[in-house]
Amino acid sequence: MQSMAIIVRDDSYDKILTPLSFAYLQAAEGTQVDMLFVNWAVRALTEEGARALRVDGRHADQDPWVRRQVEKAGLPPEIYDIIKAIKSTGNATLYACSLAATIFDVDKDNLIPEAEAIVGASWFLHEKATQADHCQYF
Amino acid sequence: MTQIKVDQTVDTSGKCCPMPMVETNAAINAMQTGQVLEIIATDPAIKWDLPSWCERTGNAMLDQTEASGTLRYYIRKGGADG
Repeated sequence: MQSMAIIVRDDSYDKILTPLSFAYLQAAEGTQVDMLFVNWAVRALTEEGARALRVDGRHADQDPWVRRQVEKAGLPPEIYDIIKAIKSTGNATLYACSLAATIFDVDKDNLIPEAEAIVGASWFLHEKATQADHCQYF
Repeated sequence: MTQIKVDQTVDTSGKCCPMPMVETNAAINAMQTGQVLEIIATDPAIKWDLPSWCERTGNAMLDQTEASGTLRYYIRKGGADG
């Protein structure tokens, strides 16, 4: 696989771990990974938003335990640190969806430097998602 | 087993997916063609991940052992000149 596109919508701490782990795995192997963060997940591309992510729903009370387990597995427990690790592979590009950025108050001033840009969904879907060898939605 | 000369070891003991494969990729990328990487792991998922990775990436699995829950793999880095 030469390229993979991932669209991330779910923003709870536990649910965002899977797309980030998949991205880390593939980018580490040399696959070009392009990620589009939509809906609430766009806030993971801000430092404040990434640090605010929590396990939610019926597992919310297990947030501290999940973080300990993540660290035990060898990943950084903070989402922002996982994003930095993914970027350190040199093979991942992270984009914020422009609609999500507008709705959830993300702009160039609070976007983390690890994010490439705020882009339109049309551009990502046509230039990245449909061009990739594999596309995933979370 | 025949004695294998190991050039580098990556110990992923205690860690789980994705870290053993992430660390394996990082280690192999820093090595020269023909060198041997020893991977130590306790995550049983590596039994599936590593053979598949070797096949895709052109790296050769020389040997593997398992003792008391610790897995050891010996991988020779492949390459155009290898």
